[in-house]
Amino acid sequence: MAHSSGLFISVIGGAALVLGASYGWTAREFRAAELDVLTDRVGQLERSNADWASKADQTSALEARLSELETELSAALQAAEDAKQAAMQPVAEPVQESATDPVIADASALEFGDPARGEEVFAQCRSCHQIGQGATDRIGPHLNGIFGRRAGAHDGFRYSEDMSMMGSDGLTWELDTLNAYLENPKALVSRTRMNFAGLDDPQDRSNILAYLRQFSASPQNIPEAAPTAQAREVELAPEVLAIVGDTDYGEYLASECKTCHQQDGSDQGIPAITQWPTEDFVVAMHAYKRKIRPHPVMQMMANRLSDEEIAALAAYFAQTE
Amino acid sequence: MKLNRRAFVGTGVAAATLSAPMVNAASHGKPKVVVVGGGAGGATAARYIAKDSAGEIDVTLIEPSRSYYTCFFSNLYIGGFRELDSIEHSYGTLASEYGINVVHDWATGVDRDAKTVALAGGGAVPYDRLILSPGIDFVDGAVPGWDVSAQNAMPHAYKGGSQTELLKAQIMAMPEGGTYVMVAPPNPYRCPPGPYERVSMVAHVLKANNPTAKIIIADPKPSFSKQGLFEEGWQKHYAGMVTRIGPDFGGDNVSVDPAAMTVDVDGEVIKADVVNVIPAQKAGLICEAAGLTEGNWAPVTGHTMQSRLDENIHILGDATNQGDMPKSGFSANSQAKVAAMAVRGALTGSRVFPAKFSNTCWSLIDTNDGVKVGATYEATDEKIAKVDGFVSQTGEDAALRQATYEESIGWYEGITSDMFG
Repeated sequence: MAHSSGLFISVIGGAALVLGASYGWTAREFRAAELDVLTDRVGQLERSNADWASKADQTSALEARLSELETELSAALQAAEDAKQAAMQPVAEPVQESATDPVIADASALEFGDPARGEEVFAQCRSCHQIGQGATDRIGPHLNGIFGRRAGAHDGFRYSEDMSMMGSDGLTWELDTLNAYLENPKALVSRTRMNFAGLDDPQDRSNILAYLRQFSASPQNIPEAAPTAQAREVELAPEVLAIVGDTDYGEYLASECKTCHQQDGSDQGIPAITQWPTEDFVVAMHAYKRKIRPHPVMQMMANRLSDEEIAALAAYFAQTE
Repeated sequence: MKLNRRAFVGTGVAAATLSAPMVNAASHGKPKVVVVGGGAGGATAARYIAKDSAGEIDVTLIEPSRSYYTCFFSNLYIGGFRELDSIEHSYGTLASEYGINVVHDWATGVDRDAKTVALAGGGAVPYDRLILSPGIDFVDGAVPGWDVSAQNAMPHAYKGGSQTELLKAQIMAMPEGGTYVMVAPPNPYRCPPGPYERVSMVAHVLKANNPTAKIIIADPKPSFSKQGLFEEGWQKHYAGMVTRIGPDFGGDNVSVDPAAMTVDVDGEVIKADVVNVIPAQKAGLICEAAGLTEGNWAPVTGHTMQSRLDENIHILGDATNQGDMPKSGFSANSQAKVAAMAVRGALTGSRVFPAKFSNTCWSLIDTNDGVKVGATYEATDEKIAKVDGFVSQTGEDAALRQATYEESIGWYEGITSDMFG
């Protein structure tokens, strides 16, 4: 019995061998055919891909052109609107200050720049300020809706006393005030917590203003970059900054300041003004004189001070202890 | 009171040790400046001359009160926003740190030929330059039925201190639904918005303690300082409480009966619980005694604040007729600095610059509802002339009004340290 079962196993084994060889051939043939098909398919896809890539290039070029056309259209519409407004407005513009004034002569037309470049400039601000969807207050307040916002007025953020005070006095963030603040933060808000020296390049400022403006709720309410949008900046002519103040005269003039500003430098309700760096003092007083800084008392006091008198005051206060 | 050494010694032990060398120094021929009146004008002038002359000029300050209560902010005491001691100041620092000889006595007259000031306590103090800053006195008979002997029944509270305390006590003791009457002064007078800030503060106190009480102002002036702002505030905070009777309804025809506690306004008799009589005003009596007044006030030139009648005498503040500046502590403080510079220039040859003046008056209407008015001035040959000015606007937002109030607190600290060191 044992023998017959051994033979039976051997027969099955032989059949299996034949079958196995037959299967192996079939599989190799099939794979080669499949590879051909795949190779063809890859070739097709590669050709199609190149096609799409060139179409995408064309699309973005068209989109860019469209955007340019839209900008031109918007500018043209604005120009038309301005012309209409000008035509309907018979009242003369407020008298501009004399162009011969060395302080005013530097004032230049201010326009919104390129928001994309502004975003690059904004990179240095991001360590403290967030902007865009989901932005929250960090070291500095978030900047969504900054245009038209009263200075120091964003709920929940703890501002410097000076910033809060400027807000109470009426400082609102608009094209010209933001521009002045970005140029020299401490000239506009003396003891702002914003530890930033300022952006000297007017182009950087106009670019960053264009970028910030994209995140304000009502950009249509913001003065457009039309040629009529003027902003006076606190740019002082070198000869004004170079005046060496007469400290004796400054001491006399300063006696008037001390009725309100305490000589010991305390700042309850009214800011301290002692030990102020000369140039900051000069710039701040000119900003009051030109009514960029708000506050009626300071505007009035600065209004009657000559360049020499401002320099004299600055020289005196710089040396006070 | 007889004059003794103590009266010349001033305040405190430190003053006593300093005053001895000052007396010796005077005998060596240092120029002498005497200042009469230790308020916003006089204290400031004394301090600036002493400070800036660095010992080259002997300065004597004659002021009867040992404690000075500022008139400015005294309304805030009435309104419950300040404690009385927060508006009280002493002359100790002027004596101890600035070497000023502080004499607590009344100056009763000036011998302009001998250049001496007579004291009520006896004796006379010599001067090279005299500065008078005596503030105001009241015009006799300005309100028929009222004189200084009636000031307990009907307080003026227009000089800080005990009168202010008395008026506040009377207001707090008013019966429910009672009547407070103010007899307002005619122009010109100390602190143009003062009576109306006071009405605001009285209304604030009554609204909290006695809301059915009434306030009546009998006013001889057709209009008053910051009128739009005050009227807006009264309507907003104290609607129905304040009635003002202007001259068109007889507010300029007023008499009082202190015994009966009645006020007669153009024939209509009002029974009142508190009557605050602020009479017409004139220069402090010493100006008249020295022969330096024309009419009720002492004329001065704005360039130096010198009397137009005596070049050795400078006059400051409320007592003067100088031109466009209002009679205020701020104005007196501003004028004092011009006078101090002119006096030092005349006595020691120090540099003299063109006179510049300024003034700002803050008023409180209700909690955190402050307003202000201000102007700058310069001297012309005729007068002190206004250059530029501003005033708070009606309808301002709450944040600005609060900032204005907080600013006034800062100003108070600033001006009082500018006066008293």
